[in-house]
Amino acid sequence: MDLYPVWLSFQVATTATGLTLLAGLPLAWVLARRRFAGHDLLESAVMLPLVLPPTVLGYYLLLLIGSRGPVGRALGALGIELAFTWRAAVLAACVGSIALLVKAAQAGFESVDQRLEQAARTLGRSEWNIFWSVTLPLAWRAVVAGTTLAFARALGDFGITLMVAGSIPGMTQTMPLAIYDRVQANQMHDANVLALIAVVSVTALLMGLGRLARVRF
Amino acid sequence: MRRIALALLLVAWVAPAAAGPAPQPLLIYGAADLAFALKEIVPLFEKAAGARVAVVLGSTGTLAKQIENGAPADVFFAADERFVDDLRARGIVIAESRTLYAQGRIVLATSVKTGVSVTGLGDLARSEIRRVAIANPAHAPYGRAARQALEAAGLWERLRPKLVYGENIRHALQFVETGAVEAGLVAQSIADVPGIRAVPIDPALHQALNQYAVVVKRSARPELGLAFIHFLIGPEGRPIMRRYGFRLPGEF
Amino acid sequence: MLSFSARKILPGFTLDVAWEAGDGVVALFGASGAGKTLTLQCLAGLVRPDAGRIEVNGRVLFDGADGVHLPPQQRRLGYVFQGYALFPHLSVEDNVGFGLRDRPREERRRRTTETLERLGLTALAARRPRELSGGQQQRVALGRALAVDPELLLLDEPLSALDPPLRRQIRDELGAIVREWGKATVLVTHDLAEAFHLADRIVIYDQGRVVQAAPKSELLTRPASEQVARLLGVRNILRGTVIKATPEIIELRWQGHVLEAINSPARRYLPAADTSVAFFIRPEYVRLIRKDRPSPDPGHHMNRMEGRVVGEVDQGTNWMLRFKLDGVEPPGQDGYDLEIEVPKLVYEMLEIARDRRWAISMHRGSIQVLPTS
Repeated sequence: MDLYPVWLSFQVATTATGLTLLAGLPLAWVLARRRFAGHDLLESAVMLPLVLPPTVLGYYLLLLIGSRGPVGRALGALGIELAFTWRAAVLAACVGSIALLVKAAQAGFESVDQRLEQAARTLGRSEWNIFWSVTLPLAWRAVVAGTTLAFARALGDFGITLMVAGSIPGMTQTMPLAIYDRVQANQMHDANVLALIAVVSVTALLMGLGRLARVRF
Repeated sequence: MRRIALALLLVAWVAPAAAGPAPQPLLIYGAADLAFALKEIVPLFEKAAGARVAVVLGSTGTLAKQIENGAPADVFFAADERFVDDLRARGIVIAESRTLYAQGRIVLATSVKTGVSVTGLGDLARSEIRRVAIANPAHAPYGRAARQALEAAGLWERLRPKLVYGENIRHALQFVETGAVEAGLVAQSIADVPGIRAVPIDPALHQALNQYAVVVKRSARPELGLAFIHFLIGPEGRPIMRRYGFRLPGEF
Repeated sequence: MLSFSARKILPGFTLDVAWEAGDGVVALFGASGAGKTLTLQCLAGLVRPDAGRIEVNGRVLFDGADGVHLPPQQRRLGYVFQGYALFPHLSVEDNVGFGLRDRPREERRRRTTETLERLGLTALAARRPRELSGGQQQRVALGRALAVDPELLLLDEPLSALDPPLRRQIRDELGAIVREWGKATVLVTHDLAEAFHLADRIVIYDQGRVVQAAPKSELLTRPASEQVARLLGVRNILRGTVIKATPEIIELRWQGHVLEAINSPARRYLPAADTSVAFFIRPEYVRLIRKDRPSPDPGHHMNRMEGRVVGEVDQGTNWMLRFKLDGVEPPGQDGYDLEIEVPKLVYEMLEIARDRRWAISMHRGSIQVLPTS
């Protein structure tokens, strides 16, 4: 049985979650700690991918990063292929899951007593340092919860991935796409095996992440 | 504990997934109704041509959109000729490679499990048939054909309230297989599965489902792509296609 | 040396204050919402005033005119927040050493250990804040602020988070620590006793403005105005009419009596005749004239009046008597004219519970006439 989709999915999901953290944590912090014109608009914009139908989202993304889209052409000029590669699958997973991380992390940061951050300032710490030594540790549980959600969502993305990466076997056919493909081809046995692997591996991972959340600072 | 997690992450990341298979296989983008037929034809072609082939199945519309936006397809088998014409107009495909590869047929499918038996479209009006599944006529060619057939038989308005739309023909067939609906109109090419009884529908009742294949311009191996098309409609592919209910050029 | 002036406009509140202090402890005293904590935040650089100037030991921390505004990180202050704001995820030791991150490791360890020792926290070094009592938490907060050797120490309501029974003891400990460390300190409190116990100088805040800044000894004896007296909780604030005022004496009419009060030549307060003025006499300075002693000479009992006790309030260690003067109708507020504080021993010895009629006297030095504000 071809287990490539399993490896691909985990790789895509971990990469995507890493990128989501990189982009999502600063975004969550800005939304939590800064007031500015357009704040609420930004908050709503982040939630948009959760609300739009995935294939619609995928379609718009495709127009952007495909061979005829502005981003696709710019990257193509640099020799970088995005659409219909595993990188597009990562992008799809990020887009679909970033809202989950941002919302959870934002709530976590907001719940940190601002006086603690003020105290840290009077004790000479820079804003960057305060984030790592005070804000993030105290919001840890929320951030781990958000990351877990984002990872699970990245692992299970279907509609967006299907549009921007396609279901190319051996290249971009992630686990959810593979399962769907087997069902479409009436290969129910294979579909069931893949689904079982998906369930077991995700459960193991979620339990591991749960342990991480309980790490006491 | 943290180090173990980190190590696992690294392993998962470095796993050869990103590389993909070494020499690029010929990528065939095919309409969903070719699933079974291609499953048999592809290994034969691989042996004959000594090349690797990979198949991407999907709904014709979605595949066409992806090809339009740079999907790495070499050959496109479309269940709906309009999409091929569209791609040709946009200059994305090699016009000369456009080949009529089959005509699709629809059948009336019922599940052996439900014990319902039908002999023709007229039976669908019976009260014991509470729901009928078809592919969505708005975007699926077989769904459109189903609608045309029902209209021609004067049954469309009456059956409308009973209709359940599947995303594609396979989806519609699943409704029938699981007993969620009592009957369905699907492509003959996918109806040959255990537990399903299929009754052919007169092709005169709907517009011909002419299906065209075409080679994509950005393909690195257009000759191989063309060879595959000819293989499919040639002496090796024909019997298989016929078995799955496709009418081939020269037979319709 | 600390010089503070700041103006800050917020929705519904304006802060406009200026005061100075030397080394030692200065207390900012006032009701909640008067702007005291806001002042600390301006001092610390956590809030930027709209205008003003803040200078500590010759360093300019803020100057609205010159556009100088040092960020909190560079101000070298120690701030003990109300509620302490200890880092819950760090041990006592890490809390105390938190501000020492930029020092070499050796110095960091040495200073932390030293601070822990001086504050009696060594045994608790590995504990978390939530495992500590209120008094212990306060010491950790102090240690954290002092470990960096700040130029100025800021304390925001250091005792309000503690249970009342503990407060007195912790207050004394706090006073000892602050004096021992010898740092110039700014203390914010709404408790007058706290201010008096811990500070040398008191700045009185009222609704975003300073109404008096003075050494504490001056405050109770010479409040700057009736308003200040009220804020200080002074009792027996009374109103009378001026008969005559000289640099040495002010003669007043009050409730049908003529009172003589000493005027301070330094103050040069000379209200015109027939002016209505406020004055006060501290309840503990009103003398009940003992009946068992020989008849007094007028020179001893000044401002002598007669009346009766119409009520008393038990205050734990003393009684607060409510005294109504004879021949005065209508009486002052609530049916009495004056409050007289009498130690419980005296109350029992003079059998005041039974014997209600008394003659009283007030030394002219005890009557403080308040300038109108």
